[in-house]
Amino acid sequence: MAKLMPSLVAVTLTSAIAGCSPAEQQDPQVTINANPYPSTYYALPNSMTLLKNATVLTGTGERHEDADVLIKEGKISAVGQQLVAEGAVIVDAKGKWITPGIIDVHSHLGVYPSPNAESHNDGNEMTNPVTAEVWAEHSVWPQDPGFNRAREGGITTLQILPGSANLIGGRGVTLKNVPATTMQAMKFPHAPYGLKMACGENPKNLYGSRNELPMTRMGNMAGYRTAFIQATEYKRAWDKYDADYAAGKNPVAPERDLMKDTLKGVLEGDILIHNHCYKAEEMAMMIDLGKEFGYHAGTFHHAVEAYKIADLLAENGNCAAMWPDWWGFKLEAYDMVLENVAMVDAIKNSCAVVHSDSGVTIQRLNQETAKIMHAANDNGFELTEQHVIGWITANAAKSLGISDKTGSLEAGKNADVVIWNTNPFSVYAQAEKVFIDGAKVYDRQDPAYQAQSDFMLGQQ
Amino acid sequence: MTLFTQSALALSLSLSVALSANVAQAESLAIINATVHTATESGVLNNATVVIENGTITAINPQSLQADKTIDAKGAMLTPGFIAAMNDMGLVEVGAVATSRDASDKEADITFDPSLAFNPKTTTIPFARKGGITRNIVTSNGGESIFAGQTFVVDLTGDFDSVIASNTGLFVQLGATDEGSRAMGMQQLIHQLEDAQKAFTQAKKANQSDKDDSDEPSREDSIISAVLAGEKPLIVAVDRASDIMHLIKLKQVYNLDVVIVNGADAVLVTEQLVQASIPVVIDAMRNLPDSFDSLHNSLNNAGQLAKAGVKVAIALPGDSHSIYALRYSAGNAVANGMDYNTAMAAVTANIADIFHLDSGRIAVGKPADLVLWSGDPFEFSSKVQKMWIAGEEQSLQSRQDELRDRYQHKTDMPAAYR
Repeated sequence: MAKLMPSLVAVTLTSAIAGCSPAEQQDPQVTINANPYPSTYYALPNSMTLLKNATVLTGTGERHEDADVLIKEGKISAVGQQLVAEGAVIVDAKGKWITPGIIDVHSHLGVYPSPNAESHNDGNEMTNPVTAEVWAEHSVWPQDPGFNRAREGGITTLQILPGSANLIGGRGVTLKNVPATTMQAMKFPHAPYGLKMACGENPKNLYGSRNELPMTRMGNMAGYRTAFIQATEYKRAWDKYDADYAAGKNPVAPERDLMKDTLKGVLEGDILIHNHCYKAEEMAMMIDLGKEFGYHAGTFHHAVEAYKIADLLAENGNCAAMWPDWWGFKLEAYDMVLENVAMVDAIKNSCAVVHSDSGVTIQRLNQETAKIMHAANDNGFELTEQHVIGWITANAAKSLGISDKTGSLEAGKNADVVIWNTNPFSVYAQAEKVFIDGAKVYDRQDPAYQAQSDFMLGQQ
Repeated sequence: MTLFTQSALALSLSLSVALSANVAQAESLAIINATVHTATESGVLNNATVVIENGTITAINPQSLQADKTIDAKGAMLTPGFIAAMNDMGLVEVGAVATSRDASDKEADITFDPSLAFNPKTTTIPFARKGGITRNIVTSNGGESIFAGQTFVVDLTGDFDSVIASNTGLFVQLGATDEGSRAMGMQQLIHQLEDAQKAFTQAKKANQSDKDDSDEPSREDSIISAVLAGEKPLIVAVDRASDIMHLIKLKQVYNLDVVIVNGADAVLVTEQLVQASIPVVIDAMRNLPDSFDSLHNSLNNAGQLAKAGVKVAIALPGDSHSIYALRYSAGNAVANGMDYNTAMAAVTANIADIFHLDSGRIAVGKPADLVLWSGDPFEFSSKVQKMWIAGEEQSLQSRQDELRDRYQHKTDMPAAYR
């Protein structure tokens, strides 16, 4: 409904003006293509599949024992006891656990791939503190062997972000974790773009060492504000152009600016903020920065001090994507507590997420979650498996703006599913089978479903 | 005021818990009804009793029990304290804060002794204890030379006397290099050994002919001489199989005590490693082809090497902030094919053997480095219930616990007052 309104207004305006004066000769309207590198993803071959008799964690807080999951036409069709589906491929999952596909909101696979090589270091455009014009998708090397390792750990969806060298580092892209030869063939259809921003030490240290702004945290803030002032003017110019055009005039379109296109997308709510930010006081300022310019501050990544402002995050609807135990590599990451995620999660309306930012731990987000669950339960929390699975599924999907499509085993959602050999929060757990949109993309027992990168072929 | 607060705190601690060395050493302690993973040929002992006195294990399953104090483990697992290795604990407080960093130096060389920079009061130690780690082989990250200096051994008491031994091994970094050729590094090592060997042979001859004409060996020569004598391990961080083969050859020529660290490609030369009795210290979680030297990284490697007969230790080399997670690496190695008891040895007995430590086993006469677990030590659901280092019970609280408590339990006053 909200979407329909503006165009109705435009039509009314145009006809009203056309009615009272001869229409001015209009040049073709200049529009910005919001999707110039569209997804070519399609689901791999799949058939109706019935997973039987497992412990099922839905991602929405439910746990079903001896339950079945029915996958039909690439979607979750039903979760329940003793489901029957004629013609379905039956998978006996007795004694096993089933969860939604795992989602990592913070990955650099493809942009900082393995092997680590100058030729492939494509994650940080360290030439200007504001590079909103770059898009991580243009750096993705789909043959990064890390994608396959991540799939073996149950990762079905992941956001690839630029690094944190810049105040505004560029757009992130959400991918389906399917083997492909092009980025577009992995691109998650209709997922919103992310915008990577970074607080704190990284931008100020890098540019400060070059005697450029930012050299300080106040320089950081000045840098974001300057960029959003420009973006606000840019958006105003385009809004005016669109309004004038709709009014039947023949305005001159503003000059395209790739950097400001992205920031305009943020101001319009189409592009979601993903903000590398460790410290309590900085996150609080980034929330206000969003309010100053009329956008939502989005998800805080790393957020080592999120537990200090858990109330504020929940109040403002900010997700925080965190690790259990990375700390001490920088002063802004000194105040780690193992229970950070649990403390953020404990507040009503919170959105706690566990992320990796690593080609190694992305393979075991279930274990990262287990560390937190057990540390918290040793210290007064009462967290359950069915609850914490949401940190790496439903909440992660919410952070990426795709919770209407994936992140839970609700009927109608994409059938992104993992079968685990045991409780996924055990150190001995392994993903046995992984499905994306109902298609089996990994099977630990069947080499035919163990994808390998071109790069690994013939290496002795 | 500050001084007064600290001593008051210390007093209350020693009154409430028998933490002080004097108290612990005067008393004997029996841990009864434990499931004891000895990491020895005795394997696992059920319902066992371990007696410790004066910092040492004095009896296992004695016929009659006489101890000042008894703890009933109620079936819980008792293991040797885990031993971490090849990390920079006590040398780095915060990675990006230059003044808190002593783990590397441009001029680090064979003689570099980083133990002189060790800070037993680092916040990384109490956090590591929460993972059951009682000792650690600390290393520098080196400098421009292939020789990164000497390793040293610490216990995790955090006491000022916690450096147990310094200059325990010579650490060398070989293989891929950003500049120039890897051949230069290998050649430097070979030449150093060759030249030293020649010099010693000549010196011996000279000594025999004229005893007055002998010079004091240089510091560097003494170290290389200890390496050549096999007294000091030559610990080499290296990945590619072709480099490992050179080291195997060097061991054969000079009879060195070679230890391979990392060893991504070790699985390609397993037989040769077994034959040469060269152990491998491996990061069991490393499974990405992170360079052209490490295309064979795999979660299966730890188990595969051990099955083939290589002595394997599991470590988290490098940064020391989260070495508490060593036990999870061992668990993952088990999930990927390593035998459970071998994985236990890989973080206790094997690492002790490889680095010439007296700890790492529960046996009479060994230091009483013990950990009592609430469950399987490799599992996330388990935690350390009690820990002793050389018989002294250790605190299991860290700075992280204080931060958590301060923000978890709110009052109407700012957190700073809590």
